[in-house]
Amino acid sequence: MRRTVEALLKHGAVVRNLENLGERSLPYKMSKHNLRHTSGGYFLVDFDAPTTIIPTMLDHLGRDIDVIRPSILKHRTPDTDETCPGKIQPNYEEKLHSRKK
Amino acid sequence: MLRAVRTWRPAIWQKGISTQHTPTTSDTSDMPIKLENPYKEPPKRCVLCGIPVDYRNTQLLSQFISPYTGHIFGRHITGLCGKKQREISKAIKRSQQMGFMSVTLKDPAFLKDPNICDFRLQE
Repeated sequence: MRRTVEALLKHGAVVRNLENLGERSLPYKMSKHNLRHTSGGYFLVDFDAPTTIIPTMLDHLGRDIDVIRPSILKHRTPDTDETCPGKIQPNYEEKLHSRKK
Repeated sequence: MLRAVRTWRPAIWQKGISTQHTPTTSDTSDMPIKLENPYKEPPKRCVLCGIPVDYRNTQLLSQFISPYTGHIFGRHITGLCGKKQREISKAIKRSQQMGFMSVTLKDPAFLKDPNICDFRLQE
């Protein structure tokens, strides 16, 4: 864990938040580095970084034997759905006469 | 024998003759005001309207997969609007790949959840 964060900082990332989602049994057995894992700890790291370091980071995490499944996601806060219009009935007449397949 | 039929129209219907029913005043004080339908129902919302969908809450996501096979339910079963259905399926795929949620089955702890989707369990 510490190694990964240090590697992140070395590549020039600003770590915003670090969460431990607990240790639980994995939903399915995963094999990584010639080992089958059935339970693991989940960690979540929020960081700001330039996009160029992502492949290097993934490579680094892939080589780390303690990391079973690395994944990097874009942190996007879900937008407020105040403008959700609700269920709109499609215009069936228009659909019938349209030429689109 | 064909009988010649001649339609008889009253003289009032001829053009140029005004009847008693034409309005004398031309103002519109008595006409109905154009209003939006006051009895219009609020637009139908789907179950998740207003709830942010996250790949981490596996309980919410597991409510939209089959308990037997783990298949993601289609729009005709879940009854969600287009945006939400896409968000849910993307989040399910993402969490399955990252190791939060199982692919082929539903987590047994979530089997007792209330049924949102339109399917019935076989007894």
